[in-house]
Amino acid sequence: MNNWRRWFSRKKKWEQDVNDELRFHIERQTAANISAGLAPEEARRQAVLQLGALEGLKETCREQRRGFWLESFYADVRYGLRILRKNPGFATIAILTLALGIGANTAIFSVVQGVLLAPLPYSEPERLVMVWQYNLTLKHVISVSYPDYLDWQRDARSFQQMAAFDSQDRNLTAPGTPEHLNGEEISSDFLSTLGIMPILGREFLPAEDRQGGTPAVLISNRLWRDRFAGSVDALGKSATLDGVDYTVAGVLPADFRLFGDDVDVYTPLGQGDRLIYGDRTIHPILCVARLKPGVSVAQSDAEMSALQERLVALYPSADRGLGANVKPLKHEFVEDVSGTLLMLLGAVGIVLLIACANVANLLLARSAARRREFAIRSALGATGARIVRQLVVESVLLSLAGGALGLVLAKWGVHPVLAALPGSLPRSGNIGVNGSVLLFALGVSVVVGILFGLAPALKSSRTDPQASLKAGGRSARSPHHRAQSSLVIVQMALTLVLLVGAGLLFRTIRHLWEVNPGFDARHVIAFNVGLSPSANSTVSSMRVAYQQLIERIRNVPGITSAELTVLYPLSEHQNIGPFLVGSQPPASIAEAPRALFYWTGPDYLRTMKIPLLRGRYFSAADTASSEPVVLIDSVLARAYFSDGDPIGQAMTIPHWGPVRIIGVVRHVSHWGLDERDAYTQNQIYASLNQFPDDWAPIFYRRLTVVVSTPLDAAAVMPAIKAAVYGASEDQTVYGIQVMQDALSQSLSSQRFPMILLGVFAGLALLLASIGIYGVISYSVIQRVQEIGIRMALGAERRDVFRMVIGQGLRLALAGVAIGAATALILARLLSSFSHLLYGVGARDPVTFLAVSAVLTGVAILACYIPARRAMRVDPMVALRHE
Amino acid sequence: MSPAVEILQGTLDLLILKTLALEPMHGWGIAQRIQQVSRDILQIQQGSLYPALYRLERKKWIRAEWGASENNRRAKFYTLTKTGRQQLERELADWKQMSTAVALILQRV
Repeated sequence: MNNWRRWFSRKKKWEQDVNDELRFHIERQTAANISAGLAPEEARRQAVLQLGALEGLKETCREQRRGFWLESFYADVRYGLRILRKNPGFATIAILTLALGIGANTAIFSVVQGVLLAPLPYSEPERLVMVWQYNLTLKHVISVSYPDYLDWQRDARSFQQMAAFDSQDRNLTAPGTPEHLNGEEISSDFLSTLGIMPILGREFLPAEDRQGGTPAVLISNRLWRDRFAGSVDALGKSATLDGVDYTVAGVLPADFRLFGDDVDVYTPLGQGDRLIYGDRTIHPILCVARLKPGVSVAQSDAEMSALQERLVALYPSADRGLGANVKPLKHEFVEDVSGTLLMLLGAVGIVLLIACANVANLLLARSAARRREFAIRSALGATGARIVRQLVVESVLLSLAGGALGLVLAKWGVHPVLAALPGSLPRSGNIGVNGSVLLFALGVSVVVGILFGLAPALKSSRTDPQASLKAGGRSARSPHHRAQSSLVIVQMALTLVLLVGAGLLFRTIRHLWEVNPGFDARHVIAFNVGLSPSANSTVSSMRVAYQQLIERIRNVPGITSAELTVLYPLSEHQNIGPFLVGSQPPASIAEAPRALFYWTGPDYLRTMKIPLLRGRYFSAADTASSEPVVLIDSVLARAYFSDGDPIGQAMTIPHWGPVRIIGVVRHVSHWGLDERDAYTQNQIYASLNQFPDDWAPIFYRRLTVVVSTPLDAAAVMPAIKAAVYGASEDQTVYGIQVMQDALSQSLSSQRFPMILLGVFAGLALLLASIGIYGVISYSVIQRVQEIGIRMALGAERRDVFRMVIGQGLRLALAGVAIGAATALILARLLSSFSHLLYGVGARDPVTFLAVSAVLTGVAILACYIPARRAMRVDPMVALRHE
Repeated sequence: MSPAVEILQGTLDLLILKTLALEPMHGWGIAQRIQQVSRDILQIQQGSLYPALYRLERKKWIRAEWGASENNRRAKFYTLTKTGRQQLERELADWKQMSTAVALILQRV
């Protein structure tokens, strides 16, 4: 307060000084002029004239003052606020428009920030990488074989630490009630590689991370609270997983997530099954590593490739055809969505541009009305720059108000919207309004304020004050008209681009829905059963237990059929293995073709209603003692048996042996309706009855039951659960998946952007139609006199109507043409967009025509009201108007 | 008034500093002095004199004080400061260098 007063009194004294100084100057000059022989009156007049416009001069002096910039800025802000308060209607419309635009941008940015930009929640996450093996034949990264991993870990120099992990679901039976848990097998230095410390206990010791180590488990914070009452005594207690007692070695922090999943139990990877982890040709694990400080991803990638080449030389039969590559850890999280999100950010940016064009149009119209004010100010000595600054300050005030409101919209809007969209965004828990989002909103507001304020301001500052003052603020034709029309054309063009994008995605979804998934998705429900540990002891008792289970489920009323399987489509699980065809096997298993392996009960294909194309289904006669047989899908048949009948042909399945093909079935959409990116499309079915005994314990742990029923899941599941629990209380039912839902879920990568792009396109359409409505209305008002004259000269009302509509139509069509051209170019440039499309080209003429028609129609509709108004102009009134 | 030459932008600062190097002076006096010494060839736009004075004051090359004028009126006197003197020397050197260069070109061509 004191500072203010001091500042104010100093400013007052300064003003006084300038006045005194200039007065002194004028006195001396007057005296000099008198002595030069002028009359006193004339002498003084000349003295003032010589000095120039006094107020302007004082202002120029003021500008030299320290702190002047801030001072006059403050004055501009106050003046701007006063102007806006005096025009509440204008201010409200402008602020709401901007709030929509900035709010939508802030919301999308908060998603981009949370998902793409924010660092991963591990220590120094930029040094974390994933190390993959790369199958050169399939041109695809694959997970890593454990022996190869151990060799890497021993020899690699680029990394401070390297760790392995592999998911392993578990059934917990004690303490507490039985529950199915997401589990993970991790190597001993996994947590320290990520830089995570257990809040209690320790991570696994190297001695625990190998065959024969004591069974130890790390548990999640949730499990610790639920099952051990959050007590320190939990350490050293035991937890029973799949019938084995594990000693609790540590508890993880509450906010720890393994790559976004909720995992409850971690066990030592080294204790995992020898069949999987002991075989160099099997690739079960994922490998995460921490780069040494100063080592780049590219350097480590080069080293790993060299290491892998050594392994190829050492173990050609397993490793030939394999490379290695290193990718930043974050890349693994967001690679799939980054293109889509950035495209959406671009789209929402376009919406903001359209909103800006609307506000700029409002400002242009208003600055035409304020021309007299500017003329007076410039006559009083305000420079053009000064007026521009005043106007830009006003527009920035508007945009800041809009931005603040938009921020509120974004804060409250983003989570409901994300929840309503069935898209599976990684890291979506991370999304929120934080410092960088605030900064973004502020930055966008200021930039946008300058952007839409500058053009009208520059135009205003260039008007000739004399002409404006004479015209009295009115003129027949606004000089801003051209600028307004161009803005409308730009709006139309941008809107068309968004409409095309939304339209193409809409058509994509339509096409995808028409894709036949190859099985009966409408009536199938899949779920998992965690078998009682007592039934788990031997392979044969396990088989018996499952057989009894499936029989019980078949007897549940409403179940048409039921069967067991290791794998089912759209489950987001995979079981990929090599197969060999023909007499010349490749030198290495890595170079063999791959297929999805469905180990199923004999009735699976009938339950799923997967049509048989040739040969026969499995039968009860296919047993462990009969010849091993498989069915293949139509894709595999076409690719490898195109020149003859596959039935009766032989194949070799590594880890199993030679098999005979007994049938060909229709291909099913395993990876989703859009399978273009799939790792492999080949599918092989084998019977669980012929499943090799040594592999059975591993695969039987994750058996799925598929049932076919005309009933709803909600109606039939309680009876199924009762049947399962009836046999043994410690069995769990989990992972219930209604196939129809899985099918629609598989569209999420297209539906998520389609819905958002549709909303943005709708917003753009609304804003653009308001824009064209405003400009045409304004021009009708400006042209009232002209219209009056036309009508007085005999123009029909119809002609006037047509003239106004024609004016709007010309703008709309120009916009459509420019927009269509832009969309064509963008479609070629934006591969992240065109990649989403399915069954429709990026230049699909149907979409282009349809959205052009929609846009033109809406534009004509928007021009209808002003056109009616123009039609009703009374020539007499119009002519007297001025 | 006809032989008057408009002063180049930037040269005004140099002239003001040079004028004040002799003695403290008020605004009107500075204008008069420049006009007299240049034998009326240089005519200062009086409107531009004062903003220039304020600018130089802000740069701390000159200092202002109220005092009594030669006819005993209250007037604002400007004095050259130490940094102002250094600046004057720098600008003089620049000016000489530049005028020599320009003269050379004009003679040669």
